[in-house]
Amino acid sequence: MKNSCSTVSTVLEKYFDQEVTDEEKLLVEGHLQECPGCRDALKSMEEFRILIKAPVEEATQKEDFPWVWQKIERGIRQQEKLTWWQSFRSWLDVTPLFKKRVWIPAVATVVVLLFVTTQIILKKTPSYPEVSVVEYIESQSDNVMVYQLEEPKVTVIWLFEGPEEERTTT
Amino acid sequence: MNREENEMISRCQQGDQEALKEIFDKYHEKVYRIAYGVVRQREEALDVVQDVFIKLFRSIKNFKGRSHFYTYLYRMVMNTAIDHKRKAGKQFMSSLDEEGSFEPSEEAEKGPERVLLQKELEERVKLAMDKLPDEQRAALIYRDVEGLSYQEMAEAMGCSIGTVMSRLHYGRKRMQETLKDYVKVHGQGRGISTVSER
Repeated sequence: MKNSCSTVSTVLEKYFDQEVTDEEKLLVEGHLQECPGCRDALKSMEEFRILIKAPVEEATQKEDFPWVWQKIERGIRQQEKLTWWQSFRSWLDVTPLFKKRVWIPAVATVVVLLFVTTQIILKKTPSYPEVSVVEYIESQSDNVMVYQLEEPKVTVIWLFEGPEEERTTT
Repeated sequence: MNREENEMISRCQQGDQEALKEIFDKYHEKVYRIAYGVVRQREEALDVVQDVFIKLFRSIKNFKGRSHFYTYLYRMVMNTAIDHKRKAGKQFMSSLDEEGSFEPSEEAEKGPERVLLQKELEERVKLAMDKLPDEQRAALIYRDVEGLSYQEMAEAMGCSIGTVMSRLHYGRKRMQETLKDYVKVHGQGRGISTVSER
């Protein structure tokens, strides 16, 4: 045996993958003629390759690919519908702050604050309660004006005794 | 990359769906083979193919032409398939007990059981592939299924040729070790061929 197995084994895998130089090819082929162990190793590699490849080839031959293309077209159409959302997302992704999704709790906090503030503003009691009923009675000496408020339930009687005097009774 | 392919890619980059169809017609089988090589399940492999081409249509603008288009595409397929596999998690686990060793019975070695035996061998191979680290599995699929050269593999995997050779070597070694109880290598036993020839 011209070359030992240990010398050839370093290039045997390259030989199997057809990646050897002409010189290495001669070296391996010369050795293989004389060494049944290395021939077996090579055959074993080939058989493992078949084990890996054969089911893949078989599955590929059975497949109906035009149907897959239709699914891809549908997928692209669906994606196009989402474009406005994606552009919003990409706009949000502009800053690293948004990228880290900090904007989700931030937006939630702003919304909650706005809601609370609005409630406080709306609940504020108006300085002049709405007058629902007004009655005005005139006489020779006095004039009387009657207000009736809905909320709170209050009746206001406004008595004018003269042009410059006035008195309020509740 | 030839002129025709350049033009096809350029049209696709401008949003031409017909150009994507042309890319699909040219590469779908290769994409499916890589996807199937990783996930080893029909439905899942088809989902990978679908995802890859939708993703490609969206991201092809990022392809600058510095590498071969097919290595760009293969890398995308490999990453998508690995993602699918991770997401699916245990769905991909084989029905066979992972730790259990399968030894064909004497009855099973006779004719009618051959198909079943072959199926079980495929399951064993799938398990052995699943056990490999992602890089070694990718190397085996690129080389043994797709027949890429070391140079093409290095481009697709973004590493040196030396790393490619190392990944291939250790991947093959691990496969042989994992399957040694079932498949006896030549010189030590009956050989793989005797299993398939039964």
